[in-house]
Amino acid sequence: MITLEQKKLDEILDMTKRCKRLLVMGCETCAAMSFAGGQRQVAELASAIRIAKKTSGDEGEVLEETIARQCEPEFVDLSGDKVSECDAVLSLACGAGVQLLAERFPDKIVLPGCNTTFLGVTEELGVWSERCAGCGNCILDKTAGLCPIARCAKQLLNGPCGGSMNGKCEISKDVDCVWQLIIDRLKRLNRLEMLEEIFPVKDWSPAGHGGPRKMVREDVKS
Amino acid sequence: MDNETPAEPIDLAPCKLACPILTDAREYIQLIAERRFDEAFAAIRKQNPLPGVCGRICTHPCETACKRGQVDEPIAIAALKRFSSDGPWKRQYKQPLPDKSTGHKVAIIGSGPAGLAAAHDLALLGHHVTIFEALPILGGMLRVGVPAYRLPKKVLEEEIQAILDLGIEVKTGVRIGQDIKLADLADEGYKAVFVAIGAHKDRKLGIAGEDELAEVVSAVSFLRAVNQGENPKVGKRVAVIGGGNTAIDSARSALRLGAEAVHIVYRRSREEMPAAQEEIEEAIREGSQIAYLTSPFEILGQDGKVSGLKCIRNELGEADPGGRRSPKPVPGSEFTLDVDMVIAAIGQVLDLSFLDGEPELGQREKRIHVEDPYTLETSSKGVFAGGDAVTGPATAIQAISAGKKAAISIDLYLKGEPLERAEPDKAVETQKLASAFIEKTGKFPRCEKTSLPKDDRLKGFEEVESVLSEDVATREALRCLHCFLGARVNKDRCVSCLTCVRVCPLGIPNTNKMGEIAIDPFACQACGMCALECPVRAIDISLDSRAEMARDIEDGIRRARHSGPVVLGFFDLHGNFGAEDVRSLKQNYPNIVPVMVFGLRRIDTSDVLKAFESGADGVFLAACPPDADPFPKETVRLKQRMEHARTLVEAVGIHGGRFEICHMPEEGLVEKEWVAAFIQNMGDLGQADSA
Repeated sequence: MITLEQKKLDEILDMTKRCKRLLVMGCETCAAMSFAGGQRQVAELASAIRIAKKTSGDEGEVLEETIARQCEPEFVDLSGDKVSECDAVLSLACGAGVQLLAERFPDKIVLPGCNTTFLGVTEELGVWSERCAGCGNCILDKTAGLCPIARCAKQLLNGPCGGSMNGKCEISKDVDCVWQLIIDRLKRLNRLEMLEEIFPVKDWSPAGHGGPRKMVREDVKS
Repeated sequence: MDNETPAEPIDLAPCKLACPILTDAREYIQLIAERRFDEAFAAIRKQNPLPGVCGRICTHPCETACKRGQVDEPIAIAALKRFSSDGPWKRQYKQPLPDKSTGHKVAIIGSGPAGLAAAHDLALLGHHVTIFEALPILGGMLRVGVPAYRLPKKVLEEEIQAILDLGIEVKTGVRIGQDIKLADLADEGYKAVFVAIGAHKDRKLGIAGEDELAEVVSAVSFLRAVNQGENPKVGKRVAVIGGGNTAIDSARSALRLGAEAVHIVYRRSREEMPAAQEEIEEAIREGSQIAYLTSPFEILGQDGKVSGLKCIRNELGEADPGGRRSPKPVPGSEFTLDVDMVIAAIGQVLDLSFLDGEPELGQREKRIHVEDPYTLETSSKGVFAGGDAVTGPATAIQAISAGKKAAISIDLYLKGEPLERAEPDKAVETQKLASAFIEKTGKFPRCEKTSLPKDDRLKGFEEVESVLSEDVATREALRCLHCFLGARVNKDRCVSCLTCVRVCPLGIPNTNKMGEIAIDPFACQACGMCALECPVRAIDISLDSRAEMARDIEDGIRRARHSGPVVLGFFDLHGNFGAEDVRSLKQNYPNIVPVMVFGLRRIDTSDVLKAFESGADGVFLAACPPDADPFPKETVRLKQRMEHARTLVEAVGIHGGRFEICHMPEEGLVEKEWVAAFIQNMGDLGQADSA
């Protein structure tokens, strides 16, 4: 899933200060699962903004709305009537959702209520960690299923750096050195010889370094 | 976005299904837990016109089925019913009678539990009901069979009076078949008759000496004399033959009337004894002795008086078709019990003598025959029958059930509509609770009975068991595990985020690999965690739903009409407080809007914000003592959540002093000093900036 984190309330209050009629809009997929932008957080945040507006003497109304996914135009358009009643939309979706709202509602102010953090997994309730950098060219077959692009601070491709100490990364003793994990796992799989193959220089163009990415499936496309 | 409430799962609450009249015990148990005792009584009374009776003498199959019984001990449902029925609030109860009478006259023959229940329900349906009773007093076996130490006459009389107050006519001293015939009733304009005459004749022992000796009496006639206050003479040493509740009633009555020793003679072992376990225990406590595996075969007499009872020991042989092992005499084990009185209590049968005059009323196996056990119609048109006269001796609640079924049938019959076969008795076996759930469930001991000391008991017929106190009753009610009142997943809204699976303290929700979530409605204990944490609000809960709490918050604050700060207090119902504490809180602290919840753990950040948004100047959460909390770990999670709430509250410009978590005292709702200081502080901070 894409993980998200709600912005600090101060920042949200600041950006919504002048909105007279604000729509807080949730997204019930990744944002909800990150406890950042589902219906529950929409209610909580809308309530907080209303109180803040009252206490600071600002006028304004705060409405609530939640859709299944803000990254799908059909869902977004279903909220058109509600959006049209407001002067601004505070999206609790990832950056993709925020931008699609802006695209579909060209005359409305669209504001981000969340920071999009990473592509990751749930470790346990309330704890997520990054696993994928979306580099566009997966090498997990060569690295025992552990990604050095997403999980090595230096994105090294041919083994650990000198900062790997007792299995931990030099940036923090709480961060595992992914290369240590790769070596351990290859050992367990009896495939340690795979390390002898040298990675050539990585082509970063599929990772977005070649400009914004777009994907077209001719066989699916209408 | 509107959330559609998920469909209710099929309600298979074990307590409800075990009850012959499908009493939803959860409903009044929950109301007792909320200290809403008058509503608890109304919930019981609307369905059962004899709650005080059932609260005392019901064999409570509900308790046998109770899920809590698989964890520690079942909820004391009968005692809670009695608690609800004994309180002063019962006098406020009024049933609305229909505006117009139907004009139909219905005769009820017999005023036992079946007759009374039928009369009650028919009167509420607008029919004109007359009860015909052979004895000079009403109540049937409840009156002349059950001794006052178990069911005080006053309790029964009051409940009968409340039924009669619906406008029911009574004719006592009228025996059907003798004093009046069914045909006469039709001539007098009765359109329908319910025959519920009970089974008031004892079975004969069929052994030598039974008919010749004066001190050999039947339990029915003995108990009838006892219950009519005739103080029948008892011997010094009494043998009671039989193992049912009538035998136990006879033995305990005999001890109260001065018998020095009472021997209950029963042919099988304790395990097979049909009397209620607690009755057997009480009889033993009071000094009755029980000779198990013993059959009498001759009553010895001397000068026309009983001089002994010859018995033989048994051993248990093969199981009979009913599953009970048959006793077989052990040759050479004969012995003589030294007794001077014998009470025969080996079961009752219908007194058929009067039915000679009513040939149309079909009989089979010495009982009145009904064409259909659900509609209770007999072969005679307009004549219905039920209770012991049809089934043989059974329990009060079974008789009440028959009376209620008869009322439904008679009403349809009078309207000329086809009879409904009422739902067959749903004796569904209670689902077994997985051991993992049992281990994780908080154990809370069942309330102790309080009863008269032995010496005081034997002085007379004073009621043995006391009513539960308010404190004990609420504590007991809070033990309920809320079967089928818990979480329901709206599958259309669920996004398979697994939060419910992760937060459930019992591990009840589970998922398949496609992310379809299932929550077992029997195992769920309605702790509310999943409904609270579900990020898309796809889970709702029946007990104390989130919508109800939101309404309580908003309505409570809106209704707070007084000068000074408005403080919303969330109180955990698991605290040690009573209805009086709630009343005095409202009186002494008019500023406080109390919101009572089944566990503070259910309170979300948004609830706190909603309170401030609705106009509260202060909000506090009063946590119950940890040992009273069925989910203490979840209450720890609450504190984390409330830290987040505090951050938000302060970020929106509300002073942190306006939001506190406090602990309830060991007894009562709040620490007076604490709450006074909190309110004072609200005053000092001024009306909230949000106001």
